[in-house]
Amino acid sequence: MKILQNSDIPIYKQISTQFREDIMNGIIPEGEYLPSIRGLARDLKISVITTMKAYEELAAEGLVSAVQGKGYIVNPQDREMIKEQHLRQLEQHLLNALESARIAGVTTEEIIDMIKMLSSID
Amino acid sequence: MKNSITAAGLTKNYKTFTLGELNFEIPKGFATALIGSNGAGKTTLLDVLCGIISKSGGEVTYFNGETDATPSVKEKIGYCAAQALFPVEWSTKEIALSCEAAFSNFSREKFAEICAEMDIESELKGKKKPLSKMSDGNKMRVYLASVFARDTELLVLDEPGSNLDPLMRDRLCDRFRQYLDEGDGEKTILFSTHNISDMENAADYVIFMSNGKIVEKGFVEDLKEKYIIVRDDIATYERTKQYLLTKSKNATVYSGLSLAENRNAVEEIGAAAEIPTLQQLSIEILKLYEAKEKERNQA
Repeated sequence: MKILQNSDIPIYKQISTQFREDIMNGIIPEGEYLPSIRGLARDLKISVITTMKAYEELAAEGLVSAVQGKGYIVNPQDREMIKEQHLRQLEQHLLNALESARIAGVTTEEIIDMIKMLSSID
Repeated sequence: MKNSITAAGLTKNYKTFTLGELNFEIPKGFATALIGSNGAGKTTLLDVLCGIISKSGGEVTYFNGETDATPSVKEKIGYCAAQALFPVEWSTKEIALSCEAAFSNFSREKFAEICAEMDIESELKGKKKPLSKMSDGNKMRVYLASVFARDTELLVLDEPGSNLDPLMRDRLCDRFRQYLDEGDGEKTILFSTHNISDMENAADYVIFMSNGKIVEKGFVEDLKEKYIIVRDDIATYERTKQYLLTKSKNATVYSGLSLAENRNAVEEIGAAAEIPTLQQLSIEILKLYEAKEKERNQA
């Protein structure tokens, strides 16, 4: 887990994002428990309430469930549905990009070049 | 959510100072920071909660419903006052002996272990220095070690970080998190401070006090969603000032506290809105209520 203390992104968001990716990629499989709230707070040197907020966000998305007295367990994930959701999001973002490109007079070839350049940066 | 302490209508009257009425909860399993200026009534409140001084009115409920700081309640509370916890001629040895006699849940091994961790000569090692020969910071380390060496359910610490250097404050925060982790939701910390900087990541819930009253309280993450800090070049000040609860400005820039619900409005004007740190929030909230108090006194 990588946490930046001085970032524009709130710490709880950094935590939930990393767990979300790990759950969706199957790195943390269904049925496994997330680290205990207070144990993770101790390891990351952050307050308990921050960890709790991250876990509550994941629970609200249905990725994990709170089990009384035991912590947060990873729910079975419907991978096809998650993929579908992301494809839909991708399509929407591309449509927005095309709209901006049209206004700015950027050609399709130029857009493809931009995408290639951007993905090589990361 | 369960509470370790619940207070309703709590008051303590002195000739020149009144604490309360206070209504609040200390959530169980978390660290609560009591934040206020010098003289806000923090120590008085902690003393009342720990049964060191009596209350004038209201009700305090502890743990499983006890309504008094009975000996069994006191046994569960590790109280660390800001000063003079032990006679100054005592060394760690006398402290260990007296704590062992006074509390059944005190462990001399744990005391020695925590003394070592805090770089203090324990009763087992090194020369036995009396408290009177120690710096304020080292005295505080001994006091803290004496409460952390007990098996308690609630730690009440008055200004634990004030006399500690940054490194030791960091270690203290680690101790806090360790205590909460080992308690697994059953152990609670309440500590006061007039300076929350470098203890931000050790506070889950905060209670802000000003002039004997509670002026704001809540979980840190909720307060960070309730308020924003607005900043910009002085040029936009006239248009954003209606949204500002506190203001500080000069010829070049301005900043102030605002409610998060005003974020869109101030951003449309062109000002920046940022999530406050707990330190920023403390300063602005205390500023806000101290200004209100001044207004009231003038009226």
